[in-house]
Amino acid sequence: MTPGWLLLIAGCGVVAGICSAFKLPRVWLAATLAGAIAAFAAAAWMLAIGVVWDWQPDFIIGGEKLHLQLDGISAFFLILLSVLGGAGALYSSEYWSDKDHPVSSPPGRAWWNGMLLNMGFVLLCANGLHFLIVWEIFTVCAYFLITRERQRPETRAAGWLYLAASHVAMIFLFAFFALLAARTGSWELGPMREHSELAPLFWLALVGFGIKAGIFPLHIWLPSAHANAPSHVSAILSGMAIKMGIYGLVRFTGWLPTPDTAGWVVAALGVVSAVLGVAFALGQHDLKRLLAYHSVENIGIILIGLGFAMIAAAHGNAVWGQLALAGALLHVWNHGLFKALLFLGAGSVLHATGTREMSRLGGLWRAMPWTASLFALGATAIAGLPPLNGFVSEWLVYLGLFDAVSARGPAAFAAILAAIALGMTGALALACFVKVCGVVFLGLPRTEIAEHVHECGWRMRLPMLVLGAACVAIGLAPILFWPALVEATTAWQPGLVNALPSAPLVTLGAFHLALAALVILAAIFLWRRVKQNGVSRAGTWDCGYAAPTPRMQYTAGSFAGIITGWFDWILRPQRHAHLPKEIFPAHANFTEHTPETVLENIVEPASSLVMRISMAVRHLQHGRVQSYIFYLLLGLAALAILAVMGGAK
Amino acid sequence: MMIALDIFLRLAAWLFLAPLLPGIINKVKAWVAGRRGPPVLQLYFDLAKLWRKGVVLSTAVSPMHVIGPAMAWVAILGAALLLPVGPAGASLSFRGDALLFIYLLALARFCIALASLDTGSAFEGMGVAREVSYAVLSEAAIITALLTLCVQTGSVSLATMLAPSAGAGAALLAAGLFGVLLAENCRVPFDDPNTHLELTMIHEVMVLDHSGPPLAAILHGASLKLLLFAVLLAEAVLPLGKLSLLQAIGALIASVFVVAIAIGLVESLLARLAFRRVPLLLTTAFLFCLFALLVAWKGGTP
Repeated sequence: MTPGWLLLIAGCGVVAGICSAFKLPRVWLAATLAGAIAAFAAAAWMLAIGVVWDWQPDFIIGGEKLHLQLDGISAFFLILLSVLGGAGALYSSEYWSDKDHPVSSPPGRAWWNGMLLNMGFVLLCANGLHFLIVWEIFTVCAYFLITRERQRPETRAAGWLYLAASHVAMIFLFAFFALLAARTGSWELGPMREHSELAPLFWLALVGFGIKAGIFPLHIWLPSAHANAPSHVSAILSGMAIKMGIYGLVRFTGWLPTPDTAGWVVAALGVVSAVLGVAFALGQHDLKRLLAYHSVENIGIILIGLGFAMIAAAHGNAVWGQLALAGALLHVWNHGLFKALLFLGAGSVLHATGTREMSRLGGLWRAMPWTASLFALGATAIAGLPPLNGFVSEWLVYLGLFDAVSARGPAAFAAILAAIALGMTGALALACFVKVCGVVFLGLPRTEIAEHVHECGWRMRLPMLVLGAACVAIGLAPILFWPALVEATTAWQPGLVNALPSAPLVTLGAFHLALAALVILAAIFLWRRVKQNGVSRAGTWDCGYAAPTPRMQYTAGSFAGIITGWFDWILRPQRHAHLPKEIFPAHANFTEHTPETVLENIVEPASSLVMRISMAVRHLQHGRVQSYIFYLLLGLAALAILAVMGGAK
Repeated sequence: MMIALDIFLRLAAWLFLAPLLPGIINKVKAWVAGRRGPPVLQLYFDLAKLWRKGVVLSTAVSPMHVIGPAMAWVAILGAALLLPVGPAGASLSFRGDALLFIYLLALARFCIALASLDTGSAFEGMGVAREVSYAVLSEAAIITALLTLCVQTGSVSLATMLAPSAGAGAALLAAGLFGVLLAENCRVPFDDPNTHLELTMIHEVMVLDHSGPPLAAILHGASLKLLLFAVLLAEAVLPLGKLSLLQAIGALIASVFVVAIAIGLVESLLARLAFRRVPLLLTTAFLFCLFALLVAWKGGTP
């Protein structure tokens, strides 16, 4: 079986899923999973063999010949798509079941497959026109998936914001592809690095794909859409849909020439996204909104790697550039895996408790041990800690940056700043996930909601287990995934030398393996020692206070208070405090809310300005014939003056 | 076989020597205050006692409360494996191990933080919040210190990075790293290990509800981390890699002593800072490292 046949099976599976989505949910699930497995096999085949699959039938859509291509970069992203698509489908069969959501669930399945299919086509298309078509369909499918709970006004607002932002992006992409086609005379896409006149088009692609990827400050749509979508949709949005923006950037920085400053700008945007993304995440009290801001952070890490790879490509293909690129691409996978895991975990919490508000939760590990441990695994991975996958990709990016510094090339100073920012991002992410795990899963239930909860069923647990296992596998045996990275990096820029000697992944993997084994051994040993010495139970130390209640536990807001204080200048949290005053204070309260600064302070004022101007201009159009005749006369007079003045020449 | 033996002996040395350092610091503090003070080996006695004791677990805790300290201890041990000892190098050395070193310490922080949040106590919440927040700044400082050594030697492996001295910027780097050492190990002026008010603690309040063997693991891990930082500081400043083994080990022991005495003197002579001042002091440490980086940059090519 060649990749072509496998892709055909995948496509048929997904289409069969669409057909059966409404009446036959089991068939839908089977067909979708089969399609995902076939797509996985096709992509894995390509990455293992290294032969580009290229298919140009005499088949014309919209006046253009169909051209599909599966090269290293496409296959690299397709693997992630198939894993997340399959995992999300299985998860949704329990999470968003027909029983709980009789109206929204069946069309949701069809939109899900529609989105998978079109994302797959985006990855395969080698024709600008078709790329735009499938990109738009994928965007619209995502809109319908986000707005599954349309009865809630927040969801409608989030969906609307997403649709508006996506279409602003679409305008830039239209301009990009149209100008590209106009200058090259064809919609065909492919390597054209020698056409240096195409370089300025990069800026259009950066904005268009950047909005989709959620680069700070273009991320305005991302937090609310991720928070309000059903959790399996949030998982694929964060794991894959925003990666389509990264795919676009990787693809077209590889195929087209870029301006000299492009790499610097991408790296700078990466640093800003990484640090501010995690700062905003720390200010959130809504579990899924918090995870959404972490997507901004991780996109930042990916862009740091990509940006330095672009700088290196502009300065003679240094090896550190390839390390940075390999790190960035591996982080695409890693972030897709652990963020999907975390969103699915958050979905289980939401399913069990009905709330995303962290301050109402607590102590969930008792009732939900699987969700709690898998979420903790994902948290360890996203905080970039060894021995899991997040560390491997960040380590590769670090190596690239440190090598750029010691090479003392033109990028050295930028690399110093980026490395320090990356270090701080890691520590901030650690703080944020300590907060999440501690507040949601540990301690005691803060409210009644958190007391009566249930563990999710196996159809929700299995996808999380698969994603968790993938995180562990990449962490413990990173070398196995190196060939795929080489395939993708050489597709980006042919002729790159293999950077493996400068990244001893075998040793790192062995160390991780030993670390994991020792951690387990030490945990068992200490546990047995504790049992052996005897355990007595007592209340948590409360400093002698007579009547402690679970509500006295530290809250998410207080926990993050020190760090959010440092970032007050951009987070602009809204605080309402009723502090206790008299000797016997009657009641006191304190609320804090961190709004989306860019949206509320830049985009909304700008839009309302545009709106005001438009409303003012609208007064010109009111239906009174006399005034229209007056406009005509004014126009004629203006023309006459123009003619008279011009006639003097 | 030789490698396994080598690793085993080194680990044994690290584990065995680590609890000595807090004893020395306490002795110095006692001398300055005019007291006799606890014996230098006090921590050994404490650890042995704790290891034999029963455990009081809070009714709120999950298994993480016990697993966390074990994981943190292993992580710090892993970091010890990566740290070279003068010309003898590290038991395990590869490109990029410097980054693994700091991330292992971060892993230890993560585990201890979760283990202590597990009790649901607001005091421990405060301690953990402080610990993870200040770590952001010390992480920035230590990455900058690594960048300095990387610029100096052109390497990303601790064994090569720490072999020569930090050159002209050594004093700056030492000042920066000493600040990080004090902050990361919760010493005065960032935290007072002897304080008795829960509201003002960092490290001590995090382990308030731990007892018995898990507390022993935490205390031993903390002393090992202190030793790691002291050795890192000494090796970053002195050209230990260029000396013969005996000389290097002598110099290392002497300089760790000096660091311990310096910590003791700082603890005796300074008061703990107000928490709002802590970020300023850490930023100062970061700036020291940054200036050391600039000096290394200007100091010529390796």
